[in-house]
Order: sequence, then structure tokens, then C-alpha cells
Amino acid sequence: MGFVSFVSFAMMDRRDFIKLTAVTGTSATLASCGHPEHQLIRFIPDEELVPGVAEWKPSVCPLCRAGCGLSVRVMEAEADVVRNGQQGVVKIGAAKKLEGQPDHPINHGGLCPRGQAAIQITYHPDRLTQPWKRTGARFSGDMKPVSWDDAIAELAARLDALAAGNAQAQLAILTRPGRSRRLELFAEFAKRFGAPAPVAVELFADDVLRRANAMSFGRDQLPTFDLAHSRHVIGFGADFLGTWNSPVAQSFGYGEMRQANPQIRGTFVQIEARMSQTGANADEWIPIPPGTEGVLALGLARVIIENKLRPADAAGQAGRAIDGWAGGLSQFTPERVETITGVPTRRLDRLARLFAERRPSVAIAGGVALAHTNGLFTALAVNALNALLGSVGVEGGMNFITPFDAARGLAQGTANRDTFAKLRSAKGLLLDGADPVFASPKAWRVRESLEQIPFIASFGSFIDDTSGLADLILPDHSFLESWTENLPEAGAAVAVVNVAGPVMRPLHQTRATPDVIIEVAGKLNKPVGLPWKSFDEMLKASMSGEAWTAALKQGWTIQSSVGSRQSAVGSLQSSVPISSPQRNGQKTVSYSAATFDGDPGTFPFYFLPYASQAFGDGSLAHLPWLQEMPDPLTSAMWSSWVELNPATARRLNIDPGDLVDISSTQGTVRAPAVLSPGIAPDVVAMPVGQGHGTFTRYGSDRGVNPISILAPVTELETGSLAWAATRVKIARAGEADGSLILFAGEMREHPHEHEVR
Amino acid sequence: MAVDLDRCTGCEACVTACHAENNIPTVGPGQAQRGRAMHWIRVERYWEGDFPDVRLKFRPVMCQHCDAAPCEPVCPTYASHHTEDGLNAQVYNRCIGTRYCANACPYNVRFFDFFNPQWPKPLHLQLNPDVSVREVGVMEKCTFCVQRISAAQIQAKADKRDLKDGEVQPACAQACPSKALVFGDLNDPDSEVSRLSRSPRGSKLLDDLGTRPKVTYLQRQSAV
Repeated sequence: MGFVSFVSFAMMDRRDFIKLTAVTGTSATLASCGHPEHQLIRFIPDEELVPGVAEWKPSVCPLCRAGCGLSVRVMEAEADVVRNGQQGVVKIGAAKKLEGQPDHPINHGGLCPRGQAAIQITYHPDRLTQPWKRTGARFSGDMKPVSWDDAIAELAARLDALAAGNAQAQLAILTRPGRSRRLELFAEFAKRFGAPAPVAVELFADDVLRRANAMSFGRDQLPTFDLAHSRHVIGFGADFLGTWNSPVAQSFGYGEMRQANPQIRGTFVQIEARMSQTGANADEWIPIPPGTEGVLALGLARVIIENKLRPADAAGQAGRAIDGWAGGLSQFTPERVETITGVPTRRLDRLARLFAERRPSVAIAGGVALAHTNGLFTALAVNALNALLGSVGVEGGMNFITPFDAARGLAQGTANRDTFAKLRSAKGLLLDGADPVFASPKAWRVRESLEQIPFIASFGSFIDDTSGLADLILPDHSFLESWTENLPEAGAAVAVVNVAGPVMRPLHQTRATPDVIIEVAGKLNKPVGLPWKSFDEMLKASMSGEAWTAALKQGWTIQSSVGSRQSAVGSLQSSVPISSPQRNGQKTVSYSAATFDGDPGTFPFYFLPYASQAFGDGSLAHLPWLQEMPDPLTSAMWSSWVELNPATARRLNIDPGDLVDISSTQGTVRAPAVLSPGIAPDVVAMPVGQGHGTFTRYGSDRGVNPISILAPVTELETGSLAWAATRVKIARAGEADGSLILFAGEMREHPHEHEVR
Repeated sequence: MAVDLDRCTGCEACVTACHAENNIPTVGPGQAQRGRAMHWIRVERYWEGDFPDVRLKFRPVMCQHCDAAPCEPVCPTYASHHTEDGLNAQVYNRCIGTRYCANACPYNVRFFDFFNPQWPKPLHLQLNPDVSVREVGVMEKCTFCVQRISAAQIQAKADKRDLKDGEVQPACAQACPSKALVFGDLNDPDSEVSRLSRSPRGSKLLDDLGTRPKVTYLQRQSAV
């Protein structure tokens, strides 16, 4: 057996070799002139890989802004590759597994399920393998492959045309969220070209929290929570163990809080109308009406102040930002708080005392709690509560990593309705992995706006609902094949800089997007002259020699002094100071009830979409491991569903799995029902992630997209999308159709035979 | 192995990590609908109470590597057997697919390969060369990442030393963000897993069946 397989392998190699030489012969005539060394397939990998022996290389998880450090297992493998029209099988060092780096200050060796599956981005069978140019109508699929030379020339020509027409300002750049040098590079290109700064596309953005932190603490930044040392935690809607902020760092801290200290087990209360995966871990789960979280926070603060558990002025500026704080929050009597939130006065009193006594304690607001029309008020209220408890900037509390400059590496805000309305008049668009057509409410008319743009170039690796509109596709390397980096905004006690080189050679004819931007910039008729020859040169220039060496070895380093950074990317050094509390000092906010789109008579249910544990904001629905991963609360796979309280379902005659129409003023989606005891009777919830029109063989036309029926309501102070401010009605639409696939509760061996009996 | 349910957040990182390490195929929505999805480790959920006083408890469940494993005596080909190290092992090329073991297992952790697995190229490059790919007609399940145990044992032997506690981590334990899963040598009374297994919070799953499982669950505590 062993001998036979050896022979067949040997023959396979020989056949491939013959095929290869034949192709090489013909391709010599097809090859574009220039660099013959680029035409050859390398048969011998550079890596000194020993068959069967793994090498571990550092990298950075690219999926969210948390910036977890990776350790990538690289082993010898045989890959089918195409280079310059030649097909062949080559031995390469291939990434085999992604693990968390044990000593990384953010993830401490752990990695979330999404990070584990990130390797499937590199090996996805529907990844774009080379540049394409559209020849037919958008989404018709009429594309032709083009060479990189032609693709880059085309992009340069389009940009030259904009410059010739003095329309540089009509070039828009949409990126994914997160803080990175890559974004700095795009921003620098935009600035020098004369285009507006890049805008991030993110449904579950944290702009409201950033604004609140700037007002309360003078920090325009997301917070880091030192849960490992907390004795008591109150969560206000934040899914901090699942998808929000820096989930792996927070999960690590949570585990330590629970069991690292044999004497003290930290306790945890979660406040939300629908039990999240995070809420499922709470000692006490308290459902309150959506949009009243801030009232509860101030109700707690009032009890603490009134009982002299802490002095009101301990809250400093964070307290002064709240209307009536100095007067002891007289308007938030326990009785009024009970009326608004439904939390009985005795329970409020107990929660407040627990919070004040079990210090260090910390309150965490995020996600759904801030996605209402009064989100900023809620965030400021929770900030004030933290400040009152002395929980800011202390062990076991809420911290801000330093040094931090919000003006660097971040997009200038998150795309909103106005962004896309303005895009209607744009003359060109560069898409860096963003999929706004999927991730925006229908009412924003994103697709209609983008269709008006005469030229769209996409750097993404997949055709999705947005990049399907592109005229030119210049696919990026995967993160494992290129320099990868980010500057985490939160998650560690120190300011981490993640930088790592490629762990494997590119599988396809792709090119690193930052390098393409640098090349195009230099090829314009009026070159914009970026100061670097390549992205890694930019990265190297951005840190001291010592830090660079450390980063190369382990994939990350700690940004210790601002000085070394200044010398780094001198031209990018921003003059914008970190916003100071004084700037917003005089402003106070007061409570106004959250408003919701849809008349409560016609649309009796609050509608809460939530980031799914598998897909986050939906950008990972193309990965088969995540599609088949059972959802933590429902065990659903490959599905969309709507969560209902069992009493609600009974009243409406809905059985588990029945199809339900969920309608808002914006439209209707149909999904199977999951009955969940962890949701208020007047709330329905749906996971975000499915419902892509086009997103590879695994993610296309599967389930429905709850974002599509969101009303375009905004948070009143910041203009951010209030994605939890839509009301809906629901109606049974039919019997179960098999589209809800659960892992739990079925006989696996012969389900149908058991049914017959 | 010890599973601290007070640390476990139900995040499912262990589930994906296991797929990545052990070449577990995805079966697609059609077969998943027929109950043929394979997860060597799963996160179970138990709802307690009714709204609003409701609680949810997660429990990761994998092969319990029982000392008196019901799957072993029923196997006509000795594919399911006990190793000297105390692992409940499955020899794929002995397995003839009677599925008696899956019927005998009270933990429902054994999975049958109804098909040859498929990885559309280049997804095949993600496969771990240290783990055999199972073909149609055999039973598969959690091995406690036996490939990692063997590799560490060989390395330790080459270095002429004993295995250190914590040196071997199955993929699930390695991935766990909150460090809820702890793996080690139960024969070593000083190992972390032995210490946790003696915890007053500890219990075994379906212990009264007499299967003598080797996974200890440390129960989630309640707030005082």
C-alpha cells in the first residue's frame, strides 16, 4: 500500500513536471516583457522547511480592531499555483493553524472563533486570484482578467483623469474600521492627492462612546477594562465577552476575575433587554426597556451619592457633564427610575451598594445600549458612574492606554447617511475591503449612490455586495502573505504596536494593497510622491530600530515613548491635540427618552439586531468553519433566525422553527423563529451576518439581512446610526421550512427513521 | 482534563480551534440539517427559569475519555480501545462503521463519516499533516489531540527529560480565551489538572452511569 502510493505520488510529480514544462514553453511567447525572473515559478521555497516539522511565525489577526497577536504554524505543503499563465504544483511553506501568541499583552494566548477561522480567508476557494476589469454591466459577472501592469495603469489613468478635471476632491475612499498604518497610508495618499480623508464603514461603530469619553475624560478613545482585578462588573448592553471592543482580552480578564484569586470571586451583573452571550455569564441578568440604560446608571449613582457611599464631586468632569449631578441627581429618584426601567427600588438600592462596596468595580457600556437616540447620554451616565466610584485609571477599572493619538491611524469618522448621499456626486471610489451595501440600512440607498459613481476600484479579496459594483479589482494579498499590522486602541495595559511580516508566499497573483497605492501614487502624471518605496519601509520608518527588531521577532512591540514615534513618520505627525475636557467643559446632557421609528400601535416590538458570534458584523459569512459553528445561545448553523419570548410566540401562534415575517416601516424580512427565555416579551432580536446577495459559495443567498429593515434613525448628538431604534411587527408566515438548522436536540444517526416511529 | 465552568463564556473558540487542528470537515447546510454536522467539542446550553429570572449555563462537551468507556466493549474490531496513557482511542483503519460505539456512548460525542470529506482547493492547504483525514464509513471523535501529546512525548524523550505540566495543550485548551480548559497528567498529583479535579466544585458528567469519565467539570459559582 505504502509502496503503491509512493509510486503514484512520484508519477504525479513527473506528470506535473511535464505539464509544467509544456506550459512554460508556450507562456514564453505570452509573457509580457520586462523581468524574466518574475516569470519563473520557484520550485524551491526560500524557507528551509523540513518535511513534517513545523515552524511558528508571528502575525496579527486582521479581523477586528482588537489586534490579537498570532502565532502561525507553517509547514511544507504542495500548492497549485498559477504564475504568469503557467500552472504548476509547487512546494511551499503553508500556514496550517493560527493560534494566539502566549505572551501577547492583548490576547494572552487565546483567540476567538473568528480569529481561528481567519486562515480560511487565505485558502478560500472563491478568493480573487488576479486583477479583473469589468466589461459588462455591474454585477453581470462580465469581467476580464488583466495584468497587473494594465490594472495599475488603468487606476493611474483614472486618477489622472480626476486630476486633469480638477476633481481630486471627488475621489472617495472607504475602508474597514480599525487603527492602522495602512489607514495612515491611505490618508496620506488622499491628502497629497487632494481627496477627502478615508471614511470607515462599520455598522457597530463606537463613535458615541468615543465622543462620550472625550467629554468625560478628555480621551477620544475606546476604553481598556482591567477585569482581571475587578471585584464587581456591571455591563450595560456591551457584548464584551463575544464581539465588542477587545473580546479576547476581556474574556481573559473575566476568567481571571472569576477564579484566579481563591479568596475573591468577582461578580458580574448584566443589563440588557435580550440576553447576549456575555449576559448569559452574568450572576444577575436584568432586562430593562431598550434606551433606559442611562437612567438606571444615574439611579445607581444617586443611591451612592445619597447614602454617602461616595462623594458626588469624586466624579469630576465626568459628573459635571451630567445635568443635575451637582444637585445630587434629584430628578433620578428610585421611584422614577423604577417607573422608567422597571427595576424595583429595593433592587436598585442593593445593586448600588454592591457596586460601591465591592471595589474596584467597573461599569461597561457599549453596543446596543449606545445604539439608541439617547446613546450619548447613556455613555456619559455610565462614565460618570465609573468616575464616581473612582474606577477610572485604576487597577480593576476602566483605563485608556497611552500614548494614544486619536488623529493617527483612524479613519475620519464612520460612514453615515450623509457620507453616502455625498458619494452620489463622487467621480471615483476606492474600496479597501468595505462592504457598505450589505452593512447599511436600505434607506441610506447606498447601492443607488454607488451606482452613480463612474469609477470604482476595489482592493478586496472577494466579490461581495459592494465590490460586485467595481470596475477594476486589484486584489490584495491575504494577511498571511503580506506585511500586516495594526495599532490597537484598547485591550492591554500598554500601547501595543503589532507589526509582522509575511508568513508564507502569496498563493495567487495578488499584490499588497499598500504597495499598489505607493506604486500608483508614483505613476500619476502629477506624482503625489509618497515618501516610502514600499509598505514595509513605511512600517520600519515608523518605529525605532530596537522596536523594529523586537517586532520582527515576536510580531509586536510596546510603544513606550512618543519621541521615537515622532521621528517615525514625520510628515504624518498630526498637529491635532487630544481633545481636552475643557473643550466640551461647559456642556451638560440631560435625559430624554429614546425615540423609535414606527408607531407602537402598529409596530409593537423593539427590534434588536446584534453582532453574531460567528460573523461579527457579517464580513465573515464566507468562511465555512464559521457558517457551521453552532451559535452559542441557539446552536444554529448556516441560518438566520429571529428570537422571540415563548409567551409572545404562544400569543401569536408561532411554534419553534415557524417562519415569521418581521416588518418595520422600511420593509420585511422572513426568518424562522427561535423561542428564547432570555428576551423580553416586547423585544425581537436577530443576528447580523447572513443575507448577503453575493459573498462566495458559502455566504451567498443564505438567510436574511436584518440591517436591511433598519430605520435610518440617528443618535441625536453624534449623528451615528441608532441601529437599535427601530420598531417592528411580526406575523407567522408559515410552517418550518427546514432553513433553521440546529446542532442541538436532534438524533444524529437516523433522524427521519425516528420521526416515522 | 478539567473544565472550569466559572471561566467558560460559551464563546465557541474551542469548537473552531478543534476543526482547525483535527481536519474536521464541514458538511454544508443540507447534511447539517440531517444532523450530520461534526463537532468533536460542542458548547451545550442549559436554560434555567423563565423570563425575567432566567439563567443560561454553558458546558463544553467533548469525549470524556472514560476509564470504563461504553464505546469500547461494543466494538467488534477493537477500533475503539484504551491506550496505556488512558486515552480512549479510535483506530480509523480498524473501524468498519458499525456505529455501535456511537449508540453506546451516553455523551453523544462520536461522529460518523457519512461521506468522504471535501475541501475545494486550495482549502486543502489548511489540513494538518499530523492528523489523518477520515474517509467515508468510519467513526471519529475527540482524541485529546493525541498528535500533540505524541509529539511532546517524543521531544521530551529526545531531550532525556519528563514532560512538564502544561507542556501539552489540546487545540481547544490552547485557544480558550478565558483559560477554562486545563489539560494535563491525572497520574501526577501535583499537576494543575489534578489540583482542579480535586476541587469541591468538581463533578463528572453522568457520573452515575459508572463510565468513570476523565473530564472534571468545575461548576459555575453563584454570587454571594
